[in-house]
Amino acid sequence: MAKVSTICPFCGCGCNFYLVLDEGKITGIEPRPNNPVNKGMLCAKGWNSHEFIDSPQRLKTPLVRKNGVLTETTWDEALDLVTSKLSSIRDTFGSNSLAFLSSAKVTNEENYLLMKLARAVFKTNNVDHCARL
Amino acid sequence: MTNSINEMDDADLFIVTGSNTTEQHPLIGTRVVNAVERGAKLILMDPREIPLARYAHIHLRQNIGTDVAVLNGMMNVIIEEGLLDKEYVDTRTEGFEALKNTVSKYSPRVVEQISGVDASDLVEAARLYAGTKKAMILYAMGITQHTTGTDNVKTVANLSMLTGHFGFPSVGVNPLRGQNNVQGACDMGGLPVVYSGYQKVDDPAVKKKFEDAWGVTDLNDKPGLTITTMMKAAEKGDLKALYIMGENPMLSDPDLGHIELSLSNLDFLIVQDIFMSETAKLADVVLPAACFAEKTGTYSNTERRVQIAHKAVDPPGLARSDWEIIQDISNRAGYPMNYANTTEIMAEINKVTPSYAGITHSRLEKVFGLQWPCPNEEHPGTAFLHKDKFTKGLGTFLPCDFKPLAEVPDSEYDFILTTGRVYYQFHTGTMTRKIDILEREAPKALIEIHPDDAKRLGIRNNDLVEVSSRRGTIRLKAEVTPRVPRKVVFSTFHFSETPVNLLTNAAHDPVSGIPEYKGCAVKIRRIA
Amino acid sequence: MKKIAKHNIIAVLKAWAKDHTVIAPQRKDHDEIAFDTFDEASFTLEYTKSSVSPKQALFPQNEVIFRIEDGTYRQVTDEKKRLLFGIRPCDMKALLQSRDFMSKDFKDVYYEARAQGAATVVMACAGPQSPTCFCTTTRSGPWSDAGYDLQLTDLGDSFLVEIGSAKGEALASSELFSPIDDAEAGRLLAPLRKEAEERIPLVPQVLEVMEKLKLSGVPDDAWEYFGNKCINCGGCSFVCPTCTCFNIFDRVVSEGNGERIRSWDSCLYAGFTKEASGHNPRGTQGLRIKRRHEHKLLYHNDRKTHGAVSTCVGCGRCSDYCPVHIGTIEVAKHLTEKKS
Repeated sequence: MAKVSTICPFCGCGCNFYLVLDEGKITGIEPRPNNPVNKGMLCAKGWNSHEFIDSPQRLKTPLVRKNGVLTETTWDEALDLVTSKLSSIRDTFGSNSLAFLSSAKVTNEENYLLMKLARAVFKTNNVDHCARL
Repeated sequence: MTNSINEMDDADLFIVTGSNTTEQHPLIGTRVVNAVERGAKLILMDPREIPLARYAHIHLRQNIGTDVAVLNGMMNVIIEEGLLDKEYVDTRTEGFEALKNTVSKYSPRVVEQISGVDASDLVEAARLYAGTKKAMILYAMGITQHTTGTDNVKTVANLSMLTGHFGFPSVGVNPLRGQNNVQGACDMGGLPVVYSGYQKVDDPAVKKKFEDAWGVTDLNDKPGLTITTMMKAAEKGDLKALYIMGENPMLSDPDLGHIELSLSNLDFLIVQDIFMSETAKLADVVLPAACFAEKTGTYSNTERRVQIAHKAVDPPGLARSDWEIIQDISNRAGYPMNYANTTEIMAEINKVTPSYAGITHSRLEKVFGLQWPCPNEEHPGTAFLHKDKFTKGLGTFLPCDFKPLAEVPDSEYDFILTTGRVYYQFHTGTMTRKIDILEREAPKALIEIHPDDAKRLGIRNNDLVEVSSRRGTIRLKAEVTPRVPRKVVFSTFHFSETPVNLLTNAAHDPVSGIPEYKGCAVKIRRIA
Repeated sequence: MKKIAKHNIIAVLKAWAKDHTVIAPQRKDHDEIAFDTFDEASFTLEYTKSSVSPKQALFPQNEVIFRIEDGTYRQVTDEKKRLLFGIRPCDMKALLQSRDFMSKDFKDVYYEARAQGAATVVMACAGPQSPTCFCTTTRSGPWSDAGYDLQLTDLGDSFLVEIGSAKGEALASSELFSPIDDAEAGRLLAPLRKEAEERIPLVPQVLEVMEKLKLSGVPDDAWEYFGNKCINCGGCSFVCPTCTCFNIFDRVVSEGNGERIRSWDSCLYAGFTKEASGHNPRGTQGLRIKRRHEHKLLYHNDRKTHGAVSTCVGCGRCSDYCPVHIGTIEVAKHLTEKKS
């Protein structure tokens, strides 16, 4: 058994809880009673939030569209393609022909890094996310 | 939020407007319920009879899109009756005369005409709010998702400044953020006009600072495109490539028919996600990402509390953390990034972001989060904002006049459709629809319609109906309920089978860019 | 009976950990304590009660119960040896009740496999573990009278060790445990138990409401006060040591491969009782809350409760973890204070 502290992935309350593991597999949720946000309490989404993590429908492999079909590939091929496409479009049409959507679901560190990639590397301020939606 | 969640336990009055709090921010909503049970008062402003209505002392069911009129009406009463906080207005604000002029037009009678809110209820609400010191306003997307969203927000602020309701514990204005890290995405500069910490891209000093910090030249100092304008640019062919990390505009954005056209018109679409979302299906490259349980990093909640979550398991298959993917792309594009972990990224955020300067991973391991602004490593964080003075100095009243919905009902499209979420599902459902119990509890979208309207149209509970706007048509089952007012229907955007955003209007607030999800004109008829 | 010095507890746990997964109170980040796999560095004896009851070791929130692999079925049972250290007497009572329930009409092989592999070391309570404890009312604490393998009672520098089974006998066979005369042990225990019992306040309303329920003295609409507040989180069922309801669902893993999973369910969710026709015999949240409390305080009280007055064992977790105060204590107080 193991219990790892985390933050609920749904609304903006930021409820704390433990993910409960057995032999490396997530088996459930346990409240963290001392935190000031939710004091151990959770809603139905929070109490069941572990279940999508190991869904068989998770994406597991990079995909690249070949002949119209998304096809499994390697990270190297996918990232080489991403980089060369972004670079060539920028070189042909200018920085503002690129745009980046960061995410209200990923960490601060990752949002910062995507923002930095857009601005420092591709020189565009076309960065937004779904705060408006 | 300008206050902290815990301050709710000491508040004596809440105004909840445009927020179905017990269903959409349950652990904040229950604080309101508990507060009412211990004697606090609740003024609810919501056209729908949401669960909190059972606890409301006054429930103002305004016509959809008339928030500015109602709030102006409250201020009209407060000024007329001399209930304003004069000292506060004199010492901490500016622009009172302009406000007074504007709100003088919104007598309770006039407001009743516009909003349908009973004049005496309005007067009572105004007196109660003005007369209660420890009063907190909570609002969410019901305020912002309007073409007048910015006006709504300004008017809420006007009301609270007029009565001195800012800058004290349990006293303030509190927007509730709808996603676990929407606050953080904004804080980190995931916006077209600012770097992290809301440092403006068009400020030369800021530009220089980031050029030095990042070791680059020629940072772009022109504000970029918002999500709504990106879609327009894509449709026109000006935008060629879009990199989407963990978002699903093909279900979440208004007027989906146009979104699909826009995304299909791109030369190159990259989607980085944990599931094959409706948007990922259109992509040229799909990058599999780690979910919250598979990486260590921080999230900023609605009260600005930055909290750390820890990696519990490895990502499935070849999936990787978003930061690792971004770093790899940067390295390939010729800009080296060599972060060993997110702790190192946070150290850089600390250096370039004044409000996050003191929020380090090592501190977050010891305390239950730190609330920004937190300018240095000794700083305990900030529980509530605007103490003693507003961040910008004097608070300026920004009076607004009532403007109707961008699309008002007419003889053909005679209903207003308003949209939101249900308790058991979340956003576009990519996560919650994989959770068996949640899917059992809320397996499909329903459209709520008032019994009087239903009777007139021959619609019974669970009948299949067709709902059309000028932009599209969907078919779904009806729920006949007085929860919605007459001539209003409500539905949710969680379900790709019944994408309600085919109907919604992409008309958006000119400042914030937020579309008017909360009101567009539709017609409805029974199918079977 | 036996005794063990407190400073030897770690040594004993380490010995037990050689052939068991030992689950014990551990200090986590932010100085919070949770029951987790024993680790000497973070183990602590300064703990109250766990947030989720020890049922999670025998009946995890999600559990694969069988797999379909290339078209063939394989039942999945977990026979691992687990040692639950430091569980409280109320939870011990709940484990006994649950094991009975899970083998009453139909043997739940998944639960039974885990239960057979489990050893229990109860820590008797010297007083309430939180203001919500009411085991003295439900007669399920503050000490266990049977069913444990070992029970420890705090004597200051040492623990008195009661042996409740052959399994317990084997667990306490090392030289770290020293024998103590039974009469002498009894003399030590009696005042401690009396004191512990006196420290845990009685909640007579719980017994009163049990009577009322028996006499159908609680009208349906009295429950709607709670139904209006409830946010349907399901947390009361999940933290409850005697709630054992589960949902079943299947997952396709890949072509020809799948798994059947059971997961904790709650009678507070409308879908729990909703019929295929759409009709729900417990159509309001108030009625669902009524059902839950009848289940705890009425339906099964004549069943084998192992000496407790009900299948509520008075742990108080439903009060601790309900966001709107619909715990058994609050329900009992409300329904008895109101003239209904």
